[in-house]
Amino acid sequence: MLKLSNVEVKYAGAILVLRGVSLEFREGAIAALLGSNGAGKTTTLKAISGLLKTELGEVTAGAIEYQGQRIERLGPEQIAKRGIIQVMEGRQVLGHLTVEENLRLGGYIHRNNNSRQDLDMVYDYFPNLVPLRNHTSGYLSGGEQQMLTIGRAMMAHPKVMLLDEPSMGLAPLIVDEIYAMIRKFNAEEKNTIVVVEQNARTALSVSEYAYVMENGRIVLDGPSAKLADNEDIKEFYLGLSNLGEKKSYREVKHYKRRKRWL
Amino acid sequence: MEFLQKIIISGLMNGAIYGLVALGFVLIYKSSSVLNFSQGYMLLLGAYIFWFFKGSLKLDLLPSLLLAMPAGFLMGTLIERIALRPLIGQPLISMITITIFLSLVLEGLVSVVWGTYPLQQVHIFSRSSLKIGNIVLTTENLFAFGLALGAMLAIIIFFRYTRLGLAMRGVAEGHQIMQSMGISVKRILNLSWGIAGMAATIGGILMGSTLGFQLGLSHIGLLAIPAAFIGGLESPEGAILGGLLIGLIESIVSGYVGYAAGVPVTFIVLILVMLIRPYGFFGLEKIERV
Repeated sequence: MLKLSNVEVKYAGAILVLRGVSLEFREGAIAALLGSNGAGKTTTLKAISGLLKTELGEVTAGAIEYQGQRIERLGPEQIAKRGIIQVMEGRQVLGHLTVEENLRLGGYIHRNNNSRQDLDMVYDYFPNLVPLRNHTSGYLSGGEQQMLTIGRAMMAHPKVMLLDEPSMGLAPLIVDEIYAMIRKFNAEEKNTIVVVEQNARTALSVSEYAYVMENGRIVLDGPSAKLADNEDIKEFYLGLSNLGEKKSYREVKHYKRRKRWL
Repeated sequence: MEFLQKIIISGLMNGAIYGLVALGFVLIYKSSSVLNFSQGYMLLLGAYIFWFFKGSLKLDLLPSLLLAMPAGFLMGTLIERIALRPLIGQPLISMITITIFLSLVLEGLVSVVWGTYPLQQVHIFSRSSLKIGNIVLTTENLFAFGLALGAMLAIIIFFRYTRLGLAMRGVAEGHQIMQSMGISVKRILNLSWGIAGMAATIGGILMGSTLGFQLGLSHIGLLAIPAAFIGGLESPEGAILGGLLIGLIESIVSGYVGYAAGVPVTFIVLILVMLIRPYGFFGLEKIERV
């Protein structure tokens, strides 16, 4: 349904960020994209949603296919209208607008005014937002803002929702709450959700399939349950040593194992 | 006493028009953070476009007005399309600089097409006058005031209650966020310039009908700047109140102190207000969460 083949992305025509990324997202499933800082996760999402073009980035090789059509040359507005909506990293609310105004703009692309119904849907998912509907969104707490940006994307009823680090800077309880809602949304709308995360444990528990990125390449992929058992993932992403125990810091000079995929 | 009343009335009348022009200024600033220094010259061109329909083509008043408004809208969108769109994504200062030089281009255009001499005055409204107590109001003044206020009210309602108005306010907050929701920032910016062009045209027609159609009309744009700043650059209501305030100050000072003092004093007031309230009276304060 959504397929990237050998995608290469350059910023400003010079900086090579993605070096031949191939991914395929199955319809109706939640997929995770893991990796450390600078691995190219956000760039991958922005290449799909077209937002790359607003930052001097460009897909210089490869193809992005969505429902059988190439989309890598389309502008972000056109891609969003086809149903691919990205929730950007860092709780990007429209600060001076109220919560409800933010949500209404989320549904802007659907001209057939179901907005009342859609608003109720979002308030159903995130009841915390109900008493805040007329508050200025810039003054909400971090968790509330993250709920708002996800709710705003829900308003568009995306066929593909791209979530960039929804857990960033939030308390574990709130992260759980947000992921529970994402899973419920996926179950009800039968849409595809792609989650980019540094929080590997959460991402692997929520998703069905996962990809691991490093240095602009996909280095590992597989069903999430299987990846969670992988030795390398355990050691480098989940902070567990090979026996499944916590790493021992008594042996500080312990032999650092090379990542096998490099 | 009668002198004071007269001064206050003429101040409010002019102030309403300053407010209207300031509103165009605010409209563009709100959606794109660009200070449009050419607003006064858009007013000038708008006024001359009206004169073209009314004076050159000798159309009746109503059709000329009805034609001038969409023409003003078109003028705004064309300016955006030709001069500003290529700069989207570039540093803001380049756009602001463009608007300064755009002023010269627009003024040049008007003087090339219509010459530099003042044109024959076109009276839009009947010259009768109305007496309330011992205050004399010309219907011309009243209509100008009413029209300016009506246009302002329409724009405020537009911003607050319509889908497109909401989208414009959203664009002011962040272009990339809006694009991620499938909203075309280019289209919205284009429309804001169109509306600003229309507001400038209405202001130009009103000003032209009282002062005559002449190149000096563009100076109103100069007074719209303090009006917008005092009211707060993001606030349509602020622009109107700022406009009325500037109109009053200008007219009282020029009446009692001397004609030449009017405009400089408004700028002194601007500086004082900026010292006390840097965001203006109704401007949006920067949200900072700690």
